[in-house]
Amino acid sequence: MSAAELDARLLATIADWSAGGVGCDDPAFDEHARALFLHQVERNEPYARFAAACGYSQERPPATWREIPAVPSSAFKDAVLATFDVALAELEFHTSGTTVARSGRHFVERATLYDAASLAGFDRFVLADRAPIRFLNLVPNPRFRKHSSLGYMVGHASVLRGDGAAAYFLEGDSVDVEGFANALDAAIAAGRTVCITGTAFAFVAALDAFETAERRFVAFSGSRVMETGGFKGRTRVVARDELYARLEDRFAIPQTSIVAEYGMTELLSQLYDDESSRTSAIRVKVAPPWLRTLVVDGDGREVAFGETGFLRHVDLANRSSVVAVQTEDRGYARDGGIVLLERDLDAPPRGCSLDAEELLGAHATARPDR
Amino acid sequence: MLIRALRAAHIVDAVAAASSRWRDADFPARVRATRAIVERTGYSEPVVDYALDRLFGSLTAAALRAAIAGELGSLEALDGFVERDGRPDVFFRGLEEVTIVSSQATIGVAIPPLAYALCAKSRVVVKDRSDGLVAAFAQSLAEERPELGAALRIESWTSHDDPHALERLAVSDVVVAFGGPESLRAIRAQTPPDGRFVPFGHRTSAGYIARESLVDTERARACALGAIRDALLYDGEGCLSLHVLFVERDGDVSIDRFVALAREALEATALEFPAGSDELSPPTSIARNAARFRASQRGGAVIAGAAQGLLLIDPPQEELPPLVPRALALYPVGGADEALGFLRRHALPLVGFATNDAGRADILGLAVASGASQIARLGTLQAPSLAGEHGGVGRILPFVRAITKTG
Repeated sequence: MSAAELDARLLATIADWSAGGVGCDDPAFDEHARALFLHQVERNEPYARFAAACGYSQERPPATWREIPAVPSSAFKDAVLATFDVALAELEFHTSGTTVARSGRHFVERATLYDAASLAGFDRFVLADRAPIRFLNLVPNPRFRKHSSLGYMVGHASVLRGDGAAAYFLEGDSVDVEGFANALDAAIAAGRTVCITGTAFAFVAALDAFETAERRFVAFSGSRVMETGGFKGRTRVVARDELYARLEDRFAIPQTSIVAEYGMTELLSQLYDDESSRTSAIRVKVAPPWLRTLVVDGDGREVAFGETGFLRHVDLANRSSVVAVQTEDRGYARDGGIVLLERDLDAPPRGCSLDAEELLGAHATARPDR
Repeated sequence: MLIRALRAAHIVDAVAAASSRWRDADFPARVRATRAIVERTGYSEPVVDYALDRLFGSLTAAALRAAIAGELGSLEALDGFVERDGRPDVFFRGLEEVTIVSSQATIGVAIPPLAYALCAKSRVVVKDRSDGLVAAFAQSLAEERPELGAALRIESWTSHDDPHALERLAVSDVVVAFGGPESLRAIRAQTPPDGRFVPFGHRTSAGYIARESLVDTERARACALGAIRDALLYDGEGCLSLHVLFVERDGDVSIDRFVALAREALEATALEFPAGSDELSPPTSIARNAARFRASQRGGAVIAGAAQGLLLIDPPQEELPPLVPRALALYPVGGADEALGFLRRHALPLVGFATNDAGRADILGLAVASGASQIARLGTLQAPSLAGEHGGVGRILPFVRAITKTG
């Protein structure tokens, strides 16, 4: 199947789901995913080599989408995983890299797919009420960090769904706390509902500053928070429930209006906290129907429902790279979605063997940012 | 009576006698220790049994005497002055205070230095692990000779910052420490500036199979079995675990055939030494997945065998070898120079070098140039002799002060 045909098919799926339809059912997903596999092994040599090492090829394709060989997310550092000439890429996203010095690169042939896939999820899970809204963003500004997939995604939503006054308050590792406070004050004074997006670490930095200054805000009714990104490489980690309690306390935004997004540079679709679980201690992440997640063990075998394992995503929006990505994230299946666990890379080592991290003088810390 | 009053020969005999009791797999203390080690480390029971068999099987009077005589000239030099040809008389007097900090996750690694430090008549403190193996062995030593029990103290520190640990390290004449770079740095910082610090850091090991070992299937099979055993034993987490194997391309047994033999060996060895856990740890899984992808990119094969064994055939040489548990990278090479180039390019800190072909001068030269301090036949890499040096360091020399006397 050609790229254009695959893209058209996915766009139709997204449009159907956005309009309240099913999007794609199990057979449709399976057929689409396997078509993508064939498309990719024909055009994406590194993926074809990896698939061959796993025993799959065009001649011997996976029997179902569950069998599609998933590249480890680190493969985006080791190879150019693209089905096209990357000089023609409309988008290029970089991971920050945590375990080795190199960063991973995800080339996207058509921005249209990413725009449609990411916006549809954002609309459904963050902006379901379609309220007129102002974006205050504690994420990388896409104007200056053009290779940040998070910045791009939020920027796209801000432009298409915002009130035209979106602003960014994260520069490198620094949060412009004063600028953010002023912007929030202005939105409140104008009676404007806000959507505050940010990485967990940026939120903590802002909260620390506001708490020190004993400064509180009462965001306009309907305001919300989209949190993402964890605590990549940070020495200070705050438990998520503590973070949400502090956000609620400082901004008067109820925890039910705080939505965690789970995405990564290597995927063009995202998962979000299911609305029904936002009142629960355990938040379940759900995805649009063109992104499906398997929970697998260390050898790549699916685990029983409810058991903990690694998350493997099959994302139909990854048309121009690799449809299946094996992540380093852990979680378990529950209530039609998955529960994401914090990464545990501190398992006590055994023996006296050297490991690569030691040799490189680097240490793995957390999942890559975007 | 104090340990100083004992003759070294009596100490050697007592240590050997205690060790011989531990060679019995049904010795109650060993049974308890085995259970505790399995619990603590997660290694399978056959692996723990193998480790204890190796440890106590080699801790013999003959090995102790040979090592001491080899390093000091005679066992009696530990008791008083002895004459030497063309050199001043010498007395190798044990240093007063020895501290041994065992690593988090090895099996009985503190016991050989403990035995040699006692032979030197030093007072010894060992930081033990929760399985209590060293403490239980210390009890056996005390039963053989109460003086040994009195000279030996087993402690459990919560960390190197533990006030008691700091106090102990500060008064130690010798500190033997096992562990990673951070632990070793922290321990070294607490040792007296003029004290001896004997670090055993994290290392890895490599092997080499020459065309002379590939003249027929049987020899090649034996090499494959040996290599896989060296790679899988202790779940591939020891410094003597084989992670890199060079195989010469021009043997009568082809690389492809050798790979097939290695695959068979993987299955057989997995039965003998099963993995400690059914599930890989998350960091290990992540590293293995990454290694598999990289290996696939140059046409190299990836063989995932039983019990989590992983063989990477001809992975990219510009990449680091996969230094992850139960994984072995096999690099076809044209000769020893190519292998040395690889080792130097990656600055791999080796401790062991396994080969059955050390009779060939260029391979022996490679093994020496590699930086390894132990050269062994394939399959025996993880069974070092207690009569030999350890990690390039003498067994008893670190614990003694040479006092020379002339006239």
